[in-house]
Parts: sequence; C-alpha cells; structure tokens
Amino acid sequence: MNIRLFFRSALLSTILAYLLIFIGGLVRVSGAGMGCPNWPKCGDNWIPPTNVDLEQFNLTLAWIEFINRSFGAILGISIIVLCFLSVKYFYSDKRILSISFLSLFLVIANGVVGGALVWTNLNPFIKTFHMILALALVSSLSFLTVEAYKILSVNKFAHRPSSNINKKIIFIFAICIIIEILLGTGIRTNIEIIQIEFPLLDKSEQLDSIPFYKYFHTFMGFTLLFLSFYLYKIFSNHSLKIIKSLNIFILCMITVQILLGELLVFSELPQLARLFHTWGSSWLVGISVIYYNLVDYELA
Amino acid sequence: MNWLNKKIILSFFVIISLGFLAFFVIDKAVKSRLNNLPIISNIAKFELTNFDNQKFTNDQLIGKLSLVAFIFTSCEDACPIMSDHFSVLQKRFYDSDLIQFISITVDPSVDSENVLNDYSKNYSIKDNWFFLTGDLQEIINLAEKGLFLSASLLPAGHSTRFVLVDQNGNVRRYYEGTDKTSIFEIQNDILTLLDD
Repeated sequence: MNIRLFFRSALLSTILAYLLIFIGGLVRVSGAGMGCPNWPKCGDNWIPPTNVDLEQFNLTLAWIEFINRSFGAILGISIIVLCFLSVKYFYSDKRILSISFLSLFLVIANGVVGGALVWTNLNPFIKTFHMILALALVSSLSFLTVEAYKILSVNKFAHRPSSNINKKIIFIFAICIIIEILLGTGIRTNIEIIQIEFPLLDKSEQLDSIPFYKYFHTFMGFTLLFLSFYLYKIFSNHSLKIIKSLNIFILCMITVQILLGELLVFSELPQLARLFHTWGSSWLVGISVIYYNLVDYELA
Repeated sequence: MNWLNKKIILSFFVIISLGFLAFFVIDKAVKSRLNNLPIISNIAKFELTNFDNQKFTNDQLIGKLSLVAFIFTSCEDACPIMSDHFSVLQKRFYDSDLIQFISITVDPSVDSENVLNDYSKNYSIKDNWFFLTGDLQEIINLAEKGLFLSASLLPAGHSTRFVLVDQNGNVRRYYEGTDKTSIFEIQNDILTLLDD
C-alpha cells in the first residue's frame, strides 16, 4: 500500500485548496467576481477574449476571475487523483474513502455555486455559501491529510486518549471558530447588501449600519484567544512536536486575526487586511481539524 | 530547532510574497475600472425642453454625471423596465447632487410636457431626473450623431441603451438598459468616476 503517495496527494490538495481560498478572496476584494459575465465560459470562449470589448469586459477583472476558475479546475483534478488513490489503497477503509469522495463532491458543488454567483450577479448570500463550502472542503482535505499522516507514522505514534474534558475543550474551540466565521461572513454579507442599497455611504457609516452582533464577533475573538491560551497551557508538554507547533500557530493566528479585525474597523476596511482576515480564518478551520485528530496520540 | 526556523522563515516569505502579489492585483483591478471608462466622444450641442417647460441644454451636463436614455411614454415593453432601472439608481444615489438622469422621448408628437410630467410621477422622486422633449429631428441627431445610438423606425425602434456621460460632457460607457445587471455595473462606474 503506497500510503506516502496518498498522503502527498492529500497534502497537495489541501495546499491547493488554501491557495484557492486565497485567490477567491482576492477575487472578492478586488471586485472581480463579475469579471467573466457568464459561467462556465468567459464570454464566448473558455478563456477571456484578447480583443477588448469594453462594454462586455474589463480584461483585468476577467483574468483575475479566470485564474480563480482555472485554479478551481486544477484543485478538482487533484481531488480526482486523491479519490482514485483512496479507491486503490483504502478500499476497505470506508471513512477515508467516503471523505475523499465527499471532498470531490464539495469541490464540484462549489464550482457550480461559483456559477450561481455569476448567474445571480454576486448575490451576497450565495457568496457566503461559496465560502462555507470552501471551508468544508479544507476541513475534509485536512482530515484526509492528518489520517494519512497518522497511518504513515503508525510506528512512531501511540494512541493515548487525552482526558475527555480536554477533548471537549478542543471541540468547543472548533465550534467557536465556526461561529466566529459565520458571524464574520454575516458582517461581510451585511456590508455588501448595504453597499448595493446605499452606495454613497462611507465605510464607517456602513459599519455603523450593522446590527449589534458585530460586537459579538469581537467578543468571540477574545474568547478564542482565551481558549487558545488554555490549549497552549494544557498541551504545552505534549510529546508530539507538531502539537506544540500547532499550539503556537493557533495562538499567533488568533492574535493576528484580532489585530487584522481591528485594522479592518479603524483603517476603513483595507482590502489587503480583509483578504488575510478571511484567509486566516480558513487556516484556523483546517488546523482545528488536524489538532483534534492528533491530540490523542503520543510518541511511542 | 534549525528545521523549525527554516520552515518559519519559508512560511513568512510565502505570506509576504502573497501579500505583495495581492497588493499588485488589487491595485491593477482598481486602475482597470477607470481604464475601462475611456472617453468615447464629447456629446454634441442640443437644446430640448424638460417636462416643467424649462430649457435643457448640453451645458447642463457639465459638473454632473448623467445617465441618458431614450424612451416614449406609450411604450409597453422596454421603456417601463428602463425607467424602473433609472428609478432604482435614483433612489440609491438620492443623497448625491452630482448625479442626474435624463430620459428623452422619441415620440415628441405624443409626449408633450404634460404627458411627460404625468409619466415622471410614476418613477421619479427627486428633481434630478429630467424628462425631455423637443423637435424630433434634433432628438434623432442627438441620438445618432451625439451619442451614436440607432434612431430609426421611431418611436418603437429606439435604442434601449443607457449612456453614461461624465462631468465634462464626455460619453464614457454604454449599458443595456433593459438588463438588470446593468444597474450593478452602472453603480460601480458611477462610484469610480465620483472617486476620480
């Protein structure tokens, strides 16, 4: 059984999925979502036209959107390979097999949702759904990567369950991250609806128009910071180096996210900060999946 | 530890590179919006009459962004949709004094000032929307020579396109007036020109 090949394939798909979320975020903040006015083609062809018809096309935006779509197709191919490998090497492991095909379903479904975005002229709710499906995809791919890693390291790792309470705290942490992301996407969706209905409002007025739940987003951010400190403390002596690294990563990432969030509010939503704020949140989702699935293991 | 340091440095390098790449792409996207609104032509001279009997000339285009459309009040297909779209945009840009809407009839023998006045009440909520009438030949000249729009087989054969004219009287972009997605495009272009 060539587990290493499966691990590499899962890792590659995960990295590509994160890059795709970054590119998707770039499409959103640069306003290139309608760069290609139709889907799946871009104009009359599969690639953006070279002859400039200004009424139909802003070529810069068309190419940004086209790169996003192409990258989605590359990720799709990568996941098809992953599914093929899962059938070949994990035919009896229904969990890996089903999550591999779930990933394939998610990438295809998200491609179609991307098309629905264009058909609905960038409906803010569909945008949010597009993002949530992408997060589900990185979760399933991260799960496959960590499972393959565990099988690869079977001689090095021993299964020693953590206390139930600690496991529950990690679970609560992951749930809080999901709630936090939903709150954040809610704020973003709200801002976009306000921007459509009231295009003349400046950024601070747009933020003022958002209901009280925006404060809950900040509150949840600090709750996550507290929880990540707690995780850092209880697992600081964990025998696995990767858990220690993830501890530091989560702590730093949540701190950076809080800072980026404040930057978004006080510097009038700079696009670059918005992009990294969204991308960082997707990292936290995948990292939580890896953390949850590794914490029960120790060095043999 | 050395191994970890290398990974941290590499990650840092990748993130900084992505940051620069994103900055470059965002900057390009912002500039492309303005580049996509080239000066197509300068609008020709014209003199028409608003529904309140006031003269309206090309001079009144100066200093404001104008959206221009050709309609007629007894039209049942495209015109109500076009006027609805103007109405949506008028509401959304209600607080700006830098934007105006101009609907020109292509059926002046029927669309007198009074008829246009009644028609305006169905759509307009502010005095920045002008409903113009005048000499048919002057209207045809304005459509064909001033804005490069078809004006044959009038009134039914009028163009359904919207024309965006900038603060200097320059034609900057055309849109399909019956297409709802044009509203989104027009909003973005108005904001781009207001920021310019």
